[in-house]
Amino acid sequence: MPSTLRSSRDRPFLPKIKKSFTYHSTTNRGLTGMKSKGKMQGKALFYWSILLPALIVMLWLTLYPMITVFLTSFQNYNYISGRRSWIGLGNYKNILADQVFLTSFKNTIVYCFSTTFLEVLLGTVLALVFYGNFRGKSVFTILLILPMMLSTMVVSSVWKTLFHYDIGLLNTILSRIGLVRVGWLIDPHIALWSIVLVDVWQWTPFAFIVMQAGLLSIPQEVFEASVVDGASYQQRLLRITLPILKDQILLLCLLRTIDTFKVFAKVFALTGGGPGNATETTSLFVYREAFQYFNLGRSSAASMITLAAVVLMSIFYLRKMLNSKEA
Amino acid sequence: MMKRTTMLLVSLCLVLSGVSAQKQVKLVIAGRDGDYGNAMQIAVDAYTAKNPNIKFDVLKLSGDDVYQKTVIDLKSGTGTYDLILIDDPKALQYQQAGWLTDLDAMFKKAGKTLDSDFIPTVIDLCRYPNNAKGKLYSLPFVGNVSLFAYRADLFAKYGLAAPKTWDDVLSAAKIISEKESGVDGVSFRGVKGNPILTAFLPIFWSFGADFLDASGNPIVNSPEAVKALKFFLELAKYGPKSTPMNNTAQVRDGLLAGTVGIAPEVWPAWLGKIDDPNESKVVGKVKITKHPAEVKKSSPMIGIWHVAIPAASKNKDAAFDFLTFLTSKETQKLMVLKAGLPPSRVSVFEDKDVLGKYPWYPAILDALENGVARPRTLYWAEIENTMGALVQEALIGQKTPEQALNEANAKLAEILK
Repeated sequence: MPSTLRSSRDRPFLPKIKKSFTYHSTTNRGLTGMKSKGKMQGKALFYWSILLPALIVMLWLTLYPMITVFLTSFQNYNYISGRRSWIGLGNYKNILADQVFLTSFKNTIVYCFSTTFLEVLLGTVLALVFYGNFRGKSVFTILLILPMMLSTMVVSSVWKTLFHYDIGLLNTILSRIGLVRVGWLIDPHIALWSIVLVDVWQWTPFAFIVMQAGLLSIPQEVFEASVVDGASYQQRLLRITLPILKDQILLLCLLRTIDTFKVFAKVFALTGGGPGNATETTSLFVYREAFQYFNLGRSSAASMITLAAVVLMSIFYLRKMLNSKEA
Repeated sequence: MMKRTTMLLVSLCLVLSGVSAQKQVKLVIAGRDGDYGNAMQIAVDAYTAKNPNIKFDVLKLSGDDVYQKTVIDLKSGTGTYDLILIDDPKALQYQQAGWLTDLDAMFKKAGKTLDSDFIPTVIDLCRYPNNAKGKLYSLPFVGNVSLFAYRADLFAKYGLAAPKTWDDVLSAAKIISEKESGVDGVSFRGVKGNPILTAFLPIFWSFGADFLDASGNPIVNSPEAVKALKFFLELAKYGPKSTPMNNTAQVRDGLLAGTVGIAPEVWPAWLGKIDDPNESKVVGKVKITKHPAEVKKSSPMIGIWHVAIPAASKNKDAAFDFLTFLTSKETQKLMVLKAGLPPSRVSVFEDKDVLGKYPWYPAILDALENGVARPRTLYWAEIENTMGALVQEALIGQKTPEQALNEANAKLAEILK
């Protein structure tokens, strides 16, 4: 059942594009020998000339800096003094032995996976709830996606006030109902989770929207047929809905993992990496090395390590997504 | 007809651009936010009132931002900024790298001389090397120094004498904490990095500790330093629980709201409204002095900010004119009275109007003359952050004082290598 559904979802999508792209059909004809070779080269030249400006900009803005960072990561380079020398893997060895970097890497991983997991889970649950009909649904939907529209710095400032130990709303409520105050941002065991909470608050709406779009694209007939066949809600959810939404879920996981792995603004605004090193993240480490100490070699090496980690995780998700397509 | 209109328009444009190019100069200032920013704005407004042709773009940046932006710009020689503020411990790298305009030459060019009104210990920091014979690269924007504040009324209430040593402070904090409800014995900044280290340094130094020995090796894990940190942690017990997240705003507001008994580290700019009944609940109750002594004399931290002209500035003459205006006696007095910015000229400290508004100002002069400057090294930013992070780890109990300082010493050795 799911496989036929997937293809019925995919099929109307692809031909539409092909039809609207007349160039495609001419090239196809050219391939079958209807057009001369010169004309084909002309077409190729045309495509390249359209692509080239974008390609140049992309190479210049992505590839060039990346290569520079890669090369700098093998150097001892202090921007202020201008001292610059090749030291091979020195920076990498140094960083991987640095307790602050290791802590920040661990924190980043914990933060990244817990936020992604919670956001996708909550987003899916919310999308399922909002799939039903109830009064005030549209109002609630709008309210629900509001946090996503706010700037991260604004969100962080608001939450910083809410989290304040003495005058924050959360602790005021806790102490009113007779519970102990929580050191949201000052307890080293809790601070990271407080930042996770803020990210979940801000980005669950995104997961919700993506999942809702996925849900709405499932043809009603499928559900109707399954109801006729006597499937319970649980069966429909686990056997039909979630398997169909698998791609959406993987895509969401990929996007949120990449985004949360780079977390900077929230930590910067909420705790500055403190208390102690409890909320240090790799981006903060890179920022401090680069823009406060101007040790460009060390910061480049740290960014390369971060990049490698993100690429590895992305490959994992992408392979999952592609595999499910082929199956 | 069409042609003539176009011609007219073009010539009009040319004339206008010629006029504006001749007269309009725009000075870009990389300045600070908060009280420093307000003071700078007051000076800029006063200057534009007299010189309407000079336009200003005053950037109000955080301390980290101003450092980061100016280093990148000055190193690349773009000349974005015409005037920049520099935090004192970082001045050395700007002076050494040759990024700043030689002000001795500018004075000569303008036919002026530097007057002798600036506090000698302060103006020497603006020279490189730091003595009267060094070349002048900057002028002091603010004669800042950390101070010690306590509630004289509470001290009187509990029969406590004015604290002479840090031990007196500790016992007073204990008594106030226990007996006075709604008041914390002490309150200081505990955010990691610069804030907590700045709060700690007056104690660190007066306990006889220091950063480097005579040959430049780090000695921050000396017995004196460990003793100082242990004392600091003991003192913190009588502070608010939120100390590790508290910064300027929390300490200042607590002091003004009357919920703080002793603030062992305050800055003049925080105290501008201490005697203003609209803002303060403790009018006339707070005593401000230099820090207590311990085994060594009182050691307030000098925290002046320099103002300098980048060598790459394209409007050096205009910038220099504004610089002399900014550091003149009249402007300093204006900034003191309107924004509470501590001056760097002796005559302003002795001014009647200034003393009328801030009777506690002699304490600043006293503290500046006793002040200790942070070590002059190219790596201060790294040292400050490293040590500030470890002191905070000791504060929140993740490391013992010995562990924290041993680790700090090892890291400092690595940084200075």
